[in-house]
Amino acid sequence: MSAGLYDVAIIGCGPAGLQAAIHVCGKKAKVVVFGKPERSGLYKAHVANYCCFEKVVSGKELLQAGRVQAENLGAVFIPLDVIETRIENDQFHLVIENNESFSSRTLVLTMGITRKKLKVKGEKEFVGRGVSYCVDCDAAFYKGKDVVIVGNESAAVTGALTLSRFANEVYLVCRELEVSNALYEQLQSSSVKIIKDAWVKEIVGNSEVEEVVLTNGKTLAGNGIFIELGAKGAMELAANLGVAFDTDTFSFIETNKSQETNIPGLYAAGDITGKPWQIAKAVGEGCVAGLNAAQYAKRLSKS
Amino acid sequence: MGEEGLLDVNDGNFESEILNASKPVLVDFWAPWCGPCKAIAPVFKELQEAYGDEIIFARCNVDQSPNTPTKYGIRAIPTLILFKDGKVLDQVVGAVPKSQIEEFAKKAL
Repeated sequence: MSAGLYDVAIIGCGPAGLQAAIHVCGKKAKVVVFGKPERSGLYKAHVANYCCFEKVVSGKELLQAGRVQAENLGAVFIPLDVIETRIENDQFHLVIENNESFSSRTLVLTMGITRKKLKVKGEKEFVGRGVSYCVDCDAAFYKGKDVVIVGNESAAVTGALTLSRFANEVYLVCRELEVSNALYEQLQSSSVKIIKDAWVKEIVGNSEVEEVVLTNGKTLAGNGIFIELGAKGAMELAANLGVAFDTDTFSFIETNKSQETNIPGLYAAGDITGKPWQIAKAVGEGCVAGLNAAQYAKRLSKS
Repeated sequence: MGEEGLLDVNDGNFESEILNASKPVLVDFWAPWCGPCKAIAPVFKELQEAYGDEIIFARCNVDQSPNTPTKYGIRAIPTLILFKDGKVLDQVVGAVPKSQIEEFAKKAL
């Protein structure tokens, strides 16, 4: 267990999360930030349209500077993914990929958006007939069956561990695993079979999924394939808390001008709330979310 | 009845409530621990308010009723299945856009 109760927990360390953290610190509130900077959409970008920077700046440098700035103000950074969220007694409880738990009075979601689809042959065709994007939702339908899960990061590894409690054989297909040592050790001591340096090429079946063809030429027989790319995102970490999504796409979290979601004490900012995909929009929303979350936490701590 | 206007169905009453219904039935197969199921629940309720006179909107908790989802080959939730005259008309899987769920429901009309 770590370090008591935080006023504000932030999931995501892109521009929205960093700006939120900076403003939380400005309100003298205690803040912890989770996530891997290299997963931010900004990390590989070159920014030419951000106010007050005359020349093109590298996204990576901006992220590094923002982190140092926030740390100097007192923010705590944990460069690991959050794998579980829940609300208990009006507090937010988060579990991260090394199984440590954290609690906070408020939560700011700034983890952006990531691609969820593999875009391979057979994927669209077999959705709901063996292709799944949610281990937490669908693992129980694969009791005693053989399943494949694909992904390189924490969502795939935690998903494989969950599936191993239900399925017969679980094959984790990955190019290279990018997870914490603790999570990797847990995976190695499990019954999950790891297939490295490979990816999914095609999903094959008749009325349901029967086989998964890999890029290394091998074929895995299985009744299902779970596609879990990247870290857990909005649907995995927010929907279970009852957070309202935009009903046009179910990809973005709905907020008001104060960056509040429909859940008290829960805020969202940046790409996760929708277009435009701009650093200026992300920091603007992050600022508002950080200020309001800090204020809300302070009110709670006094009551 | 569960939530107002939504019919709660289970392994025990599925046949009598759904297969023998006088109107088309749209069934939402869901579970309490399923995030995307929670996300689409408000849309399902909105559609019930709009089309509740012509279509019965029902919910089946797959946690409490494991046999019915197995019977219909359900392997992912949320799954919406549209029944008409006791037969499956169509189904849709996942948290798909509201417009798509609405188009899907209107197939029963």
